[in-house]
Amino acid sequence: MLRTTLAQLRAHGARVLASCLAVVIAVAFVVATLVLNASAGASLLDAVGKPFTAAAAVVTPVRGTDLDGDPVATGAALQAAERSLRDLPAGRVAQVAADRSTGVQVQLPGRTGSTYAQADAVTAPGPLRWEGVLAGRLPAAAGEVAVSERTGAAVGDELTVTVVPSSEDGGESTERVRVVGVVDLTGDPTARYAGRVFATDEQLRTWDAPVTRLRVAAAGGAAAGPAAEEVLGAVAAAVPGELAAVSGREAAEERASAFTGDAAALTSVLLVFGAVAVLVASLVIANTFAVLLAQRTRDLALLRCVGATRAQVSRSVLLEALVVGLLASLAGAAAGTGLAAVVARVAADADSPVPLGTLQVPVRALVAGVVVGTVVTVLAALAPARAATRVAPLAALRPLVPAPVRSRGGLLRLVAGLVLTVPSAAALVLFSTRGALEPAVLAGAVSFVGVVLLGQRLVPAAVGLAGRLVRGAGVPARLAAGNAVRNPRRTAATATALLIGVTLTTAMVVGASSTRATAGDLLEAGYPTDVVVSSWEEPVDDALLERLRALPGVAGAVPVLEGEVELSTGGSTSASGVDTAAAAGVVRSQQRAPLPAPGEVVVAGRSAEALGLGDGQDVEVSSPDGTAVRLRVVVAPDSEQGTVLRTEDLLRADPAAPVSTAWLRLDDGLDPDAQARVVDDVTEVVAAALPSSGVSGVVAVRTAFDQVLTTMLLVVTGLLGVAVLIALLGVGNTLALSVVERRQESGLLRALGLTRRQLRALLAWEALLVAGVAGVLGVVLGTAYGLAGTSSVLAAEGPVVLDVPWAQVAGIVAVAALAGVLASVLPGRRAALTSPVAAIAD
Amino acid sequence: MPVPRPVPSPEVLRAGAPAVRATGLRKTYGRGDAAVHALAGVDVEFTRGEFTAIMGPSGSGKSTLMHCLAGLDTATAGRVFLGDTELTALRDAELTRLRRDRVGFVFQSFNLLPVLTAGENLVLPLQLAGRTPDRAWHEEVVTRLGLRERLRHKPSELSGGQQQRVAVGRALLPRPDVVFADEPTGNLDSRAGAEVLGLLRASVREFGQTVVMVTHDPVAAGYADRVVLLADGRLAGGLSDPTPDDVIDALRTLGA
Repeated sequence: MLRTTLAQLRAHGARVLASCLAVVIAVAFVVATLVLNASAGASLLDAVGKPFTAAAAVVTPVRGTDLDGDPVATGAALQAAERSLRDLPAGRVAQVAADRSTGVQVQLPGRTGSTYAQADAVTAPGPLRWEGVLAGRLPAAAGEVAVSERTGAAVGDELTVTVVPSSEDGGESTERVRVVGVVDLTGDPTARYAGRVFATDEQLRTWDAPVTRLRVAAAGGAAAGPAAEEVLGAVAAAVPGELAAVSGREAAEERASAFTGDAAALTSVLLVFGAVAVLVASLVIANTFAVLLAQRTRDLALLRCVGATRAQVSRSVLLEALVVGLLASLAGAAAGTGLAAVVARVAADADSPVPLGTLQVPVRALVAGVVVGTVVTVLAALAPARAATRVAPLAALRPLVPAPVRSRGGLLRLVAGLVLTVPSAAALVLFSTRGALEPAVLAGAVSFVGVVLLGQRLVPAAVGLAGRLVRGAGVPARLAAGNAVRNPRRTAATATALLIGVTLTTAMVVGASSTRATAGDLLEAGYPTDVVVSSWEEPVDDALLERLRALPGVAGAVPVLEGEVELSTGGSTSASGVDTAAAAGVVRSQQRAPLPAPGEVVVAGRSAEALGLGDGQDVEVSSPDGTAVRLRVVVAPDSEQGTVLRTEDLLRADPAAPVSTAWLRLDDGLDPDAQARVVDDVTEVVAAALPSSGVSGVVAVRTAFDQVLTTMLLVVTGLLGVAVLIALLGVGNTLALSVVERRQESGLLRALGLTRRQLRALLAWEALLVAGVAGVLGVVLGTAYGLAGTSSVLAAEGPVVLDVPWAQVAGIVAVAALAGVLASVLPGRRAALTSPVAAIAD
Repeated sequence: MPVPRPVPSPEVLRAGAPAVRATGLRKTYGRGDAAVHALAGVDVEFTRGEFTAIMGPSGSGKSTLMHCLAGLDTATAGRVFLGDTELTALRDAELTRLRRDRVGFVFQSFNLLPVLTAGENLVLPLQLAGRTPDRAWHEEVVTRLGLRERLRHKPSELSGGQQQRVAVGRALLPRPDVVFADEPTGNLDSRAGAEVLGLLRASVREFGQTVVMVTHDPVAAGYADRVVLLADGRLAGGLSDPTPDDVIDALRTLGA
C-alpha cells in the first residue's frame, strides 16, 4: 500500500501542494512567531547584556538590604570590595572594573534648557571594555565625552554638563565638555529613555559618581566554564554580605528580564493568533482531503475491488495525510523562518522598540511547528479517511452519483451548542457589564465554542435563507442557492472557517474602536488640559498669555491663579482660581474635575478628606478685609486639582494671588508630530519669558495612546488576515470539490445551453452565498464580542462608550464576500473548460 | 383539445431542406500510429418531422456522430448543418446558445439536476434562454407526460421512467429543430422504456418534431421511421419503417 500511496501523491503532487497551502501558512505563522520571540530575547540579551559578556563575575548591592537608599554607603562598600578583589591571586583575574554612574543635566547644542542624561564611566581598556563607537572614539581624557545617539549630539559638539551633587554640602558644578564619539547602543531598549554620556573614570569621580557595580574578568577571558566559575567563587567569598556576586550571564539575563516581560506577553498574544490560524487550517485541511479523496473515489473503489481491505485503504489515506502534513509543515517551517528573518530585518531598519538584531532560530520552534502541522493534518484527515473506507468496491464500476449527505450527530451538536452558548452568553453579558475581565473571557471563550458547534446547524440554514433572497437573480443564482446547501456539513465547515476569522477580526475592530472612544473619554477626564504651563517664581503675565494664544496650533489659553485660603472650618489650604466661563472652553472634560459654578468651591476628594469637608457643605472663606465669602463645597472624588475657586472668590480671600499657571488647549485634529511641535513652540516662548518654569504636554499622552491602539489594531488585523486567507483557500477547495462532484451536472447544464460564463457565475454565486453568510454572521458575532470585550476591560474604569465603526464592519463583509467570489475563479475556470461530452460520458 | 403544432424555425420549414445534415464528417482521436478514427467520413441527412434511429455495434461511432451533430463535440473535419446554420463554424458561446434554443437532448442517465424539482427541470432550458414557456404548449406536454402530480417532486423521488419522461418533456418544451436522444431507454425496464419511446414517436407523429435517437436496442429502433446503420465510423446502410426483426437481421449482417 505504501507504494500505491506514494504513487498517488506523485500523481497528484501539484494539486496536493496547492491544497496544502493552508498547512504551510499556519505552520509558517507559528514558527515565525516562535523564532521572532527567541530572536527578540537573544537580541535583547545581546544588547543589554553587552557589559557582562566578558565578565566572569558581576558584583552588585543586594537588593532590599539598603532600605534607606543611601547610595554612598553602597558605593563605598563596592569600592572596598574592589580593593579586596585586586588582592585575588594573580593570574586568575584579568581585569576588575568598578563602574561609576550618575545622573547629570546636559545642555545640548541648539536647545535652551537642560535635559537629564545618564553619565557612565568608560571601562578601562581590557577584556571588560564593551563600549563600541558608531563614530569618533571613546573619551581618553577629562573634558572628553562620548554620547549616545539619543542625545542628538555629534562628534565635535560642545556640551555643558551640570552636576547636582547627591550630598547637601557640595555645590552645583558646571563644566564644558567636547564630544569625541558616539557610542553604539543598538538594540538596547533603555537607550531611548534618556540620553547617555560616557566619560573617563577620573571625570566621573569629579562628577561625584558612585561605583554602582563591579565586573571581574577571568584570566583567559572566559565568561563561562571552570575558570570563570572559580573566579566567581573567589569573588563571592571575598565580598561582604551586603553585596552579591553573580555570573555575567546571570547579570545579563536579570537585566534583560525587565524587558522580556513585554516580549513574552506579545508572544502569547501572537501564539493565540497562531492557534486560531491552526484551527482554521484544520477545518480547511479536512475539506481539502475530502476534495482529494472525492476525486479518487473510483481509484479507491478499484483498490477495494482488487482486494484491499478497509483498514488498508484507511491506512493509505492517513499515510498520505502524514506525508502531506510533514512536507507542508517543513515548507511552513522554512517559510516561517524566512518570514521571521524578513520581519527582523525590517524591524531593525525601522528602529523597532523590540530589538531584533540577532536572528535566533531555536530548534524547538521548528520542531513545534512541524509537529503541530503534521498532527493537525493527520487529525483533520481522519474523518475524510473514514468516509473513504466506506466506498463500496462496486463504486468503481458505477457512474458517480452524488448522494445527499446526511449529517449524523447533528442533534448532539445542536444540544451541546445550545447548552454551551445560552448560559455562557448570559454570563458574558453579566460579567462584561460589571467589568469582571477573567470570568468574562472564560464565558466568551465557552460561548464561542458553542457558537461554532451551533454553526453546523445555523450556517446551512442561513445559507438556505440567503439562497431564497437571490433566487430572483437568474438561473445560475437559483441553481447556486440549491447547490450551496446540498452538503450541509461541508458548507458548515467551509463557512465556519471563514466565520472564525471574520468574527475575530470584527471583534478586534469594534473592540479597538470602542476602547478608543471609551479611553478617549477617560483620558480627557483624567487629563482635561492639553498643555499646562507652570511658573515657579514670576507670575504668568497677560503679555505671555497673548503670545501663547497667538501661536499656531494653540486654540486657547486661560490664566489660573494660585493662592492661600483660610477656611471657617479651620485650617488653610492652597487653592486655584479659574474663570469658569473661559476655562470651560479650554479643558476637554469636566467629568472628574468640574469647574466651580458661582457660589461653589470644588474640592478634590483627597483634599476634602484632609480638610474635613463634605459634599454640599457650606464653608466660609475669610478675607483679609474681615469679610467672609460663603461657598458651597462640591467634592470631586477623582479630581487631581486640589481646591478650585472662581477667580473673583480667590482674589477676595487672597488679593495677592498670582497667576502661576496657564491652561492651554490645542487645535483639534493635530497629529502627534504637530502636537509635539506646538508643545515645543510653547516651551520656547515660555522659557524665554520665565526662566523658572515648566511645560507639560499631557496632550501627548492621549495621542500616544491613540497611536498605540491604531498600530495594535493594524497589526492584529493583519494577523487575523492570515486566518481569513486560510479560510478563503478553504472556500476555493470546497468549490473545487463541488466542481469534481458535479462534473456530470455541469456537463448536462452545458449541453442544455448554460454558457461558460453562466457556469462560472453559478460557482461565483455559490461562493458568494457561503462567504457572504459567513461574513454577515461573523460580523454580527464579532460586533457582540468586541463590545463585550471592551466593556469587560473598561467597565471598571468608568462609563463605557460603545462605538461600532460601521464603515469598517461593512468593509469586512464586503471583503469576505468579494474574496469568496475570487476564490471561485479557479474552480469556475476548471468547470467551464470541461467539455460537456466528456462529462456526460463519465 | 386543439393544440397548435410546434413551429420549427423558418429555414427548417423551407421545402425539402433536411433538419440536420453532415458532409465528410471525420473525428480522429490521437495522432500518427495511435490515431483512432471514430468517424471516418460520414455523409448523412435527417429529414424534418422524421424519427431516425442511429444503430451500430459498440465502437461504431454512433455516439460520436450524435455528439458532433448536436454541437456537443467538435469534428476533426467535415461540416455539420442544422437547417442552414453551419455548426462546425460556430464558437463555443454560439454553439451553447444554439443548443439552448434549437436543440433538445435526452441522455441515457443523469438527465435531471438533483437540486431542482421536476417542474423546474422541465423549464430549465427556456429559463436559461430567458424565455417563458407557451402556457398552452406547456399544459399539453405536461398532460402527455402524465406527471402533473409529480412536478413538485425532486428527481430523487421519481422512478427512472418518470425521470426519463421529464427529460423528454424538457427536450420538447422549447420546440427545438431537432431532439437528440442518446440511448434514452438504456437504464429502463422494458415497460418504462416503451412509455418513453411512445412519447418520442408521438411527438413526431402528432407535433411534427424531428427526433434522432442513438440506440443499440432493436426493439427501440423499431419505433423509428428510419434506421441509419453505422460500422467502424462509416455509414453501413439504412432501413425504412423497420421492425425489430429487420433491425436484428441488418445488425447481424454488419457483425458478420
